[in-house]
Amino acid sequence: MPEFVKLVDVTKCTGCRACMVACKNWNDLPAERQEFQGSIQSHKKTTAHTWNVVTYTEYEQEDGSLDWLFRHSACLHCKEAACVKVCPENAIGYTKFGSVVIDSEKCIGCGYCVNNCPFKVVELAEYKDEQNDKTYYKAQKCTLCTNRLEKNMQPACAVTCPTDAIVFGEQEAMLKQAEARLAEIKPLYPNANIYNPPGVGGTHAVYVLPEKPSVFGLPEDPRVPLSATIWKDYAQPIGKALFGVTTMAVIGAFISNSLFRRHENLEQVENEGGSEQ
Amino acid sequence: MSRNRIHSEQQMVRRFTRTFIVTHWLYASSFLALLVTGLPMYTEFFDWLYPVLGGPATARQLHRIFAVVFVVPFLILLVFDRASLKNWLKQILSWKKHDFQFFAAFPKEFFGFHTDMPKQDFFNAGEKLNSILQMFSFLLLILSGVFMWFPKYFPKWLQVWSYPIHDIGFGLAIAVVVGHIYLSIGHPSSRVSIKGMTKGYVPMKYVEEHHGRWADELRRQGK
Ligand code: SF4
Ligand code: SF4
Repeated sequence: MPEFVKLVDVTKCTGCRACMVACKNWNDLPAERQEFQGSIQSHKKTTAHTWNVVTYTEYEQEDGSLDWLFRHSACLHCKEAACVKVCPENAIGYTKFGSVVIDSEKCIGCGYCVNNCPFKVVELAEYKDEQNDKTYYKAQKCTLCTNRLEKNMQPACAVTCPTDAIVFGEQEAMLKQAEARLAEIKPLYPNANIYNPPGVGGTHAVYVLPEKPSVFGLPEDPRVPLSATIWKDYAQPIGKALFGVTTMAVIGAFISNSLFRRHENLEQVENEGGSEQ
Repeated sequence: MSRNRIHSEQQMVRRFTRTFIVTHWLYASSFLALLVTGLPMYTEFFDWLYPVLGGPATARQLHRIFAVVFVVPFLILLVFDRASLKNWLKQILSWKKHDFQFFAAFPKEFFGFHTDMPKQDFFNAGEKLNSILQMFSFLLLILSGVFMWFPKYFPKWLQVWSYPIHDIGFGLAIAVVVGHIYLSIGHPSSRVSIKGMTKGYVPMKYVEEHHGRWADELRRQGK
């Protein structure tokens, strides 16, 4: 099964927000009112109910002219995803398409993934249990429309995008297309680059950006947080090993004590009334 | 044969105060409760505990309640039995030659062979190490726990570092606890010491064998 990539060419984006609407529509997500952000941007960032947000950045170029930059922002579907690494319930996993998907059944709403995502994409949704009036939480984010991929369809945003700023296809073809586009825009945008950050093993959503990533609110060098690596690759295995070692030592001591121990037992001495003294 | 007479013949020595004993068991039981409510998050191997505990949300709630109980013993000691607390801290912070020698002799003793153990204090070096590791992991667990419980009041980097630190504190504590429990109720040479933590008294013979320096001290005081 070839891996797939969603290629987002922000230079073609007109900021029409059709992808946002398509996403809400397909995933049956409720409208979410937020305070006025002070710009035309609808939401501050992605939330548990708004899985993609088109960001609007007013950017002053070196020559003083103003650029209005749009970016379709959503989960990047990292190949080495921090959210997958830290989830204590194994509720997040990779699909055969390469997408990163949360299993709501398993999610306990601890929020570890929220705190560790280098792109601050995933968030917790609050639900109310009607029966016992308890609130509970589930992490929610873009699924790359994995349920559509399973039916041989493309993600809703990619299908909807009127300017082909979002396209979807096999990884190799998409990366080639990105390179070609980069070459095209380089003369106009000397800072242009392809955003496919190696710190998270590359991503299944790749951007063509005309300016530095930070201009678009993306981290320049995103990584799986060091704390997550120490936690999952060292602290946890070492802790379990240590527990195993002391347990084995105790079992060994138990056996060897019952086999080899000769001298008298203090308890017996006491119970027999110190007759040996 | 009355038990009391035997005890006086056998000569029992007071080791721990009532308050110290109560706080020990309170600490131990809340540790156990925290263990049970935390385990399913630590490893999927214990996920079956979730239904037993009433679901993940309830488990997390319980974990927080027991976390509060977990710090109470320390407060009780601080308020009601500062003498024991002081003695304990003073002891475990004093490390002399005989303490270090303990660890050379200990493995043989642990596996049931005869050794010449240098005379030990009121707390032997093993107990000192156990106390220090427990206190250290207690601090790690409580601090990181507070950051995780009240995310609103602390920066995010503290949150993300709290996860591994909570993990390390737990790993340390559980590894030490296994040995501690075995030595106090399982190991033939030291298990009589549990009496110190139940009744408060231990046989003088035990004191002489395991805490020689303390025995000397008792004799000097003419007890
Ligand atoms: S962008 Fe965040 S939520 Fe998406 S896969 Fe990467 S770490 Fe997980
Ligand atoms: S909130 Fe859910 S998906 Fe995220 S880390 Fe916790 S259990 Fe896993």
